[in-house]
Amino acid sequence: MTQEDRRARKAQRRAQSREAKGEDAKPPRSERARRARDEQKDQMGTASTRDRRVAPEARDLRQAGKSGKAGASLPKLGVRGTLLFLWRQLTSMQTALFLLLLLAIAAVPGSLYPQRNVDASKTEQYISEHGSWAKFLDTLGFFDVFSSVWFSAIYLLLFVSLVGCVIPRLGVHLRQIRSRPPRTPSRLRRFAGFTRVELPGGDVEAVAARAAKTLKRSRYRTDVLEEKGGARSVTSERGYLRETGNLLFHVALLGVLVGVAAGGLFQYRGQITVVEGEGFSNSLAEYDSFEQGAWYDSSKLPSFRFTLDDFRAEYDTSSNEHRFGQPKKFEADVTVDDPDKSGEYSKTLRVNQPLHVQGTTMYLLGNGYAPEVTVKDPDGNVVAEGPIITIPSGDTGYTSQLVIKAPDAQPKQMAVVGFFLPTGVIDEKGPHSEFPGLVNPQLALTVYNGDLGLDDGVPKNAYQVDVSSLTPVADSDGNQSLVSLTPGESQTLADGSSISFDGVKRYAAFDIKRDPFQVFTLVMALSAVLGLVLSLFVPRRRVWVRAVPSAHGVVLEVAGLARSDDDRLVEDVRALAERLADSASTAADPSPSDDTSADSPSSDSPRPAPQTPETDSSQSKPSHEGPLQ
Amino acid sequence: MIDQQLAELSNLLIIVTIVLYVLALIGFGADLSGVTQRRSDEKLEKQKRESEGARAELATVGASAGTAAAAGGGPGGSTDAGTTPTRTATAGKASASRGSAGAATSGNALGARGFGYVMASIGAVLHITAMVLRGVATWRVPWGNMYEFSMTSSALIVALFVIISIRRKDLRLLGTLVMLPVLVLMLIAQTAWILPASDLTPSLQNSHWLIVHIGVAIIATALSGLGAIVAALQLLSTRTQKVRAAREAADRPLGRFWGPVSALTERIPGPEALEALCFRLHSLAFVCWTFTLIFGAVWANEAWGRYWNWDPKEVWTFVIWVVYACYLHARATRGFRGNKAAWFALAGFACVIINYTVVNLVINGLHSYSGLG
Ligand code: HEM
Repeated sequence: MTQEDRRARKAQRRAQSREAKGEDAKPPRSERARRARDEQKDQMGTASTRDRRVAPEARDLRQAGKSGKAGASLPKLGVRGTLLFLWRQLTSMQTALFLLLLLAIAAVPGSLYPQRNVDASKTEQYISEHGSWAKFLDTLGFFDVFSSVWFSAIYLLLFVSLVGCVIPRLGVHLRQIRSRPPRTPSRLRRFAGFTRVELPGGDVEAVAARAAKTLKRSRYRTDVLEEKGGARSVTSERGYLRETGNLLFHVALLGVLVGVAAGGLFQYRGQITVVEGEGFSNSLAEYDSFEQGAWYDSSKLPSFRFTLDDFRAEYDTSSNEHRFGQPKKFEADVTVDDPDKSGEYSKTLRVNQPLHVQGTTMYLLGNGYAPEVTVKDPDGNVVAEGPIITIPSGDTGYTSQLVIKAPDAQPKQMAVVGFFLPTGVIDEKGPHSEFPGLVNPQLALTVYNGDLGLDDGVPKNAYQVDVSSLTPVADSDGNQSLVSLTPGESQTLADGSSISFDGVKRYAAFDIKRDPFQVFTLVMALSAVLGLVLSLFVPRRRVWVRAVPSAHGVVLEVAGLARSDDDRLVEDVRALAERLADSASTAADPSPSDDTSADSPSSDSPRPAPQTPETDSSQSKPSHEGPLQ
Repeated sequence: MIDQQLAELSNLLIIVTIVLYVLALIGFGADLSGVTQRRSDEKLEKQKRESEGARAELATVGASAGTAAAAGGGPGGSTDAGTTPTRTATAGKASASRGSAGAATSGNALGARGFGYVMASIGAVLHITAMVLRGVATWRVPWGNMYEFSMTSSALIVALFVIISIRRKDLRLLGTLVMLPVLVLMLIAQTAWILPASDLTPSLQNSHWLIVHIGVAIIATALSGLGAIVAALQLLSTRTQKVRAAREAADRPLGRFWGPVSALTERIPGPEALEALCFRLHSLAFVCWTFTLIFGAVWANEAWGRYWNWDPKEVWTFVIWVVYACYLHARATRGFRGNKAAWFALAGFACVIINYTVVNLVINGLHSYSGLG
């Protein structure tokens, strides 16, 4: 083994271990020197189209601001320099990594504490239960994590960094895409999968041309170079899509952010409740609640109407304790009147099957019971009548709270408060329902008299009443009377007022929303995935072929360089060498069908494998004659 | 609606699977302890081979520069630990002692490992059959609650392991590391989370997103699990190499802990190859998590009219995604490559576990589908 061989091996071993750490192999010294020469040439304005500075420059942009040296020279930089320094710092890979990590950590409290945007009443309850500590957390924004200053700051900085990172890389990449692959290194031996084959006879030019053709077919960008001593080399590179994908990914993330933000500005959403048999026409007054983005124009509310024809619910009746009473089916039949379409149409809404109408979407999100009740005051006037929407209290049995306010009752205003029980049981636990279906519907009510306080102008929740200032109606013994009714029954109280339970209807609760940017956001998200897949799975590599004339014919050298994780490179380079050697040996009868891609080495005809130095480790000679001849 | 007999059969098959996995674990465990015990015998052999090995090593490096990724990466890499000349980063002694691994695989260990592998393979087939039967019995995909989700993802982990190690036989040595967590998961699911076969709650019905979103989530979870095992091994392997180098320099024995660990890590691919495999698994996992996130958002939009509402489950899926993004970034960031990045991968898996247990059982959100009201 020559001294030189040993040195080459050492260098190569170093390169390998460096590459294993994910670094790009530093080009061998000679290549670095040549690169410097080229740079000079570029500066002198020679017509070299190759932009060899591209790759290191890209890296520098990402990794600029590696404190140390830059920091030391800070004082000399002046204002502009300092800003530049800060900008470099912000757009460095380390900062991006740090901000990403920070983003993940900052999101966690959002899952630990109740959030206003998810459940406002639960949040208020939590705060009132946890005293000053909770108040302190509240001022820090722990109950609105995702709109808090610190969370927003992190993601905005991240996206600024992203822009600052992507724009230069975009420029570099565009230039690179248009340039030709860099020149073949002078010593291929140091690169991956190096294979050397001596071909008897043959012509340097033909070998190079064939190599270029094969590489082109495998979508390599190739360039044939004339070298000294009559040699020819083919330089090629592929996998530009990797960087394209990476840029697409990052830009698309930006797009997602834009889509979400724009959606927030232009959207609206509202909640409605509709009792079976009743209708809804889309106008602001009909909503229970309505939120709109800052730039939404509510005068443009679309003008559809619909009727809830029927609502069906089904519950599990099996004996398993976990399953019993669990919902099995919710369905709402609606008849929609859409002015954009001629005539009405019917549709069944289910939980995962919303209704799309006039650019808005309507979701079935809740349901409950609306018992039909008639309330008469002691004078016999009907003061409340019809289906009353009740609020399920959250148990499996759908025990629902009912509140009726009758401000017109004489001589005093009346309030009826109590429960509707779909499958009622009244025992020592008080009135409750054991099953959510209508097996034994019951009303358990108390009637109050007094001033409902509706006249003082403060808006009141229709589903709540404060009974502390009211007097319960008592029976003849002076006890508070409990009214208990099944459908069809009615009861008259001691003061002469009466309540009748006429029947039960169901109601459905819908969310109606419009977000004109959601499709845009989805497209951006999917583009991000596309970019991601390209950038993770497209290998970027260079492959070189050199044909040198020799005494016996041509010496063919093939090698490659992985510019990303690329576990098939060696295999592919060898396969290419084999193919070129093969076709050269049959050069007298060139068969065009032999041009299989260098990336799919599986050729169907069995061939003697070229002996590569790796497999024949017993020999110390790196080149091999023999099997291919 | 529910075919109770099929459901019973499915439950029975799961029990049989667990028994087979226990046997597999015993086999793999015996193999592993055999491997670490034989270490002392090998030391002699190793010394004998050292001189030969060193010479061979020089020759194998040859003039060809294989990337380290080629040694470990995909199924295209070399398969037998005895003939991996590309693993040249650890020169001399390490590669010589690995050279003797081929010899060591004859004997009892192969029997135990082979037994473990066969048990795991049969178990995996029954496991998958059980999940298919559960699906047929309920006429839906078998991932409607935590029990079903656990059972399906553990089936996938074992199946992936069995399939990957058909060709990469050296990875079978790691059977213990796969079977142990899988068995723990299955036993917890079997005792604490089990539910009879039943229909889905309405919020999960009528939606192909159930299949797409949760299907991808299961694959992502399984890949993350395997990836975490590989990342842990990578860290362990690097650490062992350092310890071994330090002890050898100081001429001290490896001791009762590092001795067996070193015997183990010498028989699996080296740190660079593990790093490459780790990256492969995590890039696939990250793509799957991205899809999980997007499909989840699309589904939430279909079901609730909000594609993202920062519900605890959504928060944690986001956290998982960002942490894995950190991992991928770290691999390209100066000062974080290699082992530091692997810690991000482990952190990512820790988040997966939190998302799976704490978020499902403790924190209540709209996504409470554990079925354990
Ligand atoms: C919104 C936050 C970000 C996320 C979620 C994110 C995520 C990712 C992911 C998952 C990858 C690996 C996949 C791929 O190669 O495409 C990646 C790669 C990369 N990111 Fe980001 N990134 C973010 C911001 C940034 C920023 C601010 C920078 C610039 C400093 C940056 C620079 C890069 C670079 C250079 C790569 C390629 C690494 C390589 O060479 O393999 N990213 N990013």
